[in-house]
Amino acid sequence: MSARQTFLAAVLTTTLGIFLAGPLFAQAPPPPQTGGTGPEDAPKVFLEAPGLDLARLQKDIGFVTFVTSLQESTVHVAITLRKAEGGEEYVLTFTGRDGFKDDNNVLYYRPEPGGTPDQVVDALARTLRLGLVRYAAKTSVAKQMSVDFEQKVKPTSVVDPWHFWVFSLGGNGFINGEQSVSMRSFNGSFSASRVTPEFKFRASGSANYGRDVFKYEGEEIRSTSESYYGNALAVKSLGEHWSAGGFVSGQSSTYMNLDRQLTLAPAIEYDVFPYSESTKRQLRILYKLGLTLVKYREETIYYKTTETLFGESLTATLELVRPWGTASVSLEGSHYFHNVKFYRLELYGEISFRVWKGLSFNIDGGGSRIHDQLGLPLAGASLEEVLLRRQQLATSFDYYFSVGLSFTFGSIQSKVVNPRFGAGEGGVSISISY
Amino acid sequence: MSHNGVRVLCYLLLAAFVLSPFLWPQEKKAEQVDQEIEALKKLAVKVYIDCGSCDLEYIKTEITFVNYVRDRKEADVHVLITTQTTGSGGREYTLSFLGQNGYSDVKDIQKYYTEKTATDDEVRQGLVKALKLGLLSYVGRTPISSRLAVNYTPAAKTGPFVDKWKSWIFSLSGSGYFSGEKSYSYYSFGGSFSANRVTQAMKLNLSGSWRRSEDTFQYEGTEIRSQRDSASLSGLYVFSLTEHWSAGVSVSAQSSTYSNLDLALSFAPAVEYNVFPYSQSTRRQLRLLYRASLNPTRYREETLYAKMRETLWKESLSASLELREKWGTVSASLSGAHYFHDFKKYNVELFGIVQLNLYKGLSIYVIGSGARIHDQIYLPKGGLTKEEVLLQLKQLQTTYSYFAAFGVSFTFGSIYTNVINPRFGSSGGSGVHIEID
Repeated sequence: MSARQTFLAAVLTTTLGIFLAGPLFAQAPPPPQTGGTGPEDAPKVFLEAPGLDLARLQKDIGFVTFVTSLQESTVHVAITLRKAEGGEEYVLTFTGRDGFKDDNNVLYYRPEPGGTPDQVVDALARTLRLGLVRYAAKTSVAKQMSVDFEQKVKPTSVVDPWHFWVFSLGGNGFINGEQSVSMRSFNGSFSASRVTPEFKFRASGSANYGRDVFKYEGEEIRSTSESYYGNALAVKSLGEHWSAGGFVSGQSSTYMNLDRQLTLAPAIEYDVFPYSESTKRQLRILYKLGLTLVKYREETIYYKTTETLFGESLTATLELVRPWGTASVSLEGSHYFHNVKFYRLELYGEISFRVWKGLSFNIDGGGSRIHDQLGLPLAGASLEEVLLRRQQLATSFDYYFSVGLSFTFGSIQSKVVNPRFGAGEGGVSISISY
Repeated sequence: MSHNGVRVLCYLLLAAFVLSPFLWPQEKKAEQVDQEIEALKKLAVKVYIDCGSCDLEYIKTEITFVNYVRDRKEADVHVLITTQTTGSGGREYTLSFLGQNGYSDVKDIQKYYTEKTATDDEVRQGLVKALKLGLLSYVGRTPISSRLAVNYTPAAKTGPFVDKWKSWIFSLSGSGYFSGEKSYSYYSFGGSFSANRVTQAMKLNLSGSWRRSEDTFQYEGTEIRSQRDSASLSGLYVFSLTEHWSAGVSVSAQSSTYSNLDLALSFAPAVEYNVFPYSQSTRRQLRLLYRASLNPTRYREETLYAKMRETLWKESLSASLELREKWGTVSASLSGAHYFHDFKKYNVELFGIVQLNLYKGLSIYVIGSGARIHDQIYLPKGGLTKEEVLLQLKQLQTTYSYFAAFGVSFTFGSIYTNVINPRFGSSGGSGVHIEID
């Protein structure tokens, strides 16, 4: 390109630029957007709507740029009218082009009988706006968009022949081994639940079996464990802060020296924050009064094989999910009535906190004072039972504590994904919950 | 099940019977129920969110203009959410909107990115927004859409983004863990660093880590202590050749008491072929990786083959398949390796995961692996103590290893999961979730 041509091109571009930008500047600053002036990478829409008022359809859709020919466009929208059963129906056909290739949709609008032409155009404009969102969402415009639905609607407004009852059955097995070690465990479980905002009921049960075999110097060391659990919970909602209900649980466990145990516990709960904010913050205080019937497998250190225990417990749980991070802390105290020296105090907490851009800190820990191990067997545990943790051991405390700090700097906004030779961290995570 | 289990069950049934009057409470009509919106909600789009790492309760409280179902086959739109790590250590969320039933002609893909240090709240807010924007393509066909407002506030103009770090990202971290009770205590602490540069054309990962841990048991007056140390340094450089081919080299150094390694070095050029284009990696991959490596090693104790140090050549080939589809997840890998100085020193390993959402409410999973091991050339000549065996402190001699896990779950009843009720604590839904990074 010669110098003269370059000069001409520059003049032309500038003139065109002023001409195009002119209306923009003239309108500025605040009056509402009259459509068709989105940012540079916004979808370029070519709208065809024979017989309809284009200007009015495009009004207020500021997150796309309307263009006047198909060639310039990245999205083509055609609005047509067709005969349908019992009346007429508008069909809005959205076809993606270039970067939006294969990105297509069709929306429909059927005018209400007796609607004015104004109402029809307004409804079509709203439908057009909804249909264009998927394209704008893929551009930088997305950051400035929001979708609002302010109406309160009950989550139970559905047609449900099961009346919110859900039942589930499950079974799991795990085996592994090598020449001198083999382990296996099996489990079966069921659950039934019905959860509505007014009432919650959940019952579940599981049976577990485990066996480990070690070979050491010709000798075979075998160790097995068996446990059964059953739980039921019923809670009635009493306003935004209070709930009342009860727990029933039963269990049998070789680890805990329990032949069988049944607990009945009515309970009441107060949430300092309204329950409706539960996904953001909760501070729940739960009081439980419990009656426990126990039969032990082996005689205990207190020379008992059966007993009936009355106890109470108070638990405070704080859960926060805030823009700075998350916190979950729980403090629980419990004791038996026949001897208040048989008590337990537990504190657990997990906090992750972003101190500053790139610098995050997390702490996770817990500890307990334990003075209620009424079920310890008189006979004690063997070395294998200790090392393999097959039996509960006498202790007056336990704790765990973990702390981590991580600092990241550099191109923290990079969005590149490069899967070659596997992802950085790699691995598969499997979570199984009952 | 033993008689104990049966008894526990009987108690439970009895308890359920006692509680039964509470189970059908009279639900009072809320004073001001907007009849019309209730009617619209009944016709709202049915959505199945297929995502294990998402905060579903938050999604359900923030997006109330659709109905949530627990089974994919019941849904009008199946939202399959997969994630991958980005070059900056953040996550790329790919939301695949798969229309079905009356909406089978509507499909869409939306993406959403988080930074590495984004908090949970920021992550879920961004995800909810991406979900809302994507769901509008379906909601636009239902009458409830007349109650939605799509707002747009034009942004102030900003200059083009300039990356002064040229795609480099650095990270330092440290952590400690301590636990104990009267007769047992454990601690572990360590640190790590990494430096990465990832672009579409190349990938460079450098990292190092060190960790020490110790168990202490008290048993009949004696103290049993065991300590483990491990440290490693590694580097990987990969350059992209085509949509299917890549080549690179990895170097590493490691030390481990578990594996009797004082210092093991490795230098390995490698080449990879992906049957699917790399651009589909979040949903589909079948990668074949060939690696030849040179391994100078110094041991902590003399090995079974009476060596204190040696330098060996080795080659390995692995194939890994990863699929994330509507019907479930498949991940499988087969790998083999041998030394050049003695072809009998080899290992072959097969690993697989299959999780299928078979039919309404029925899902199964199988995870398994098996290995033939004939290359434990680093095992120490001296035997192990009983504690070392039971606590799995040191690697044992073996010619094979296997593990398998399997499960089945069947759920029936109400298909809707719209309700969030946090009273007396919520428990996450039961089930198995498998995520592949």
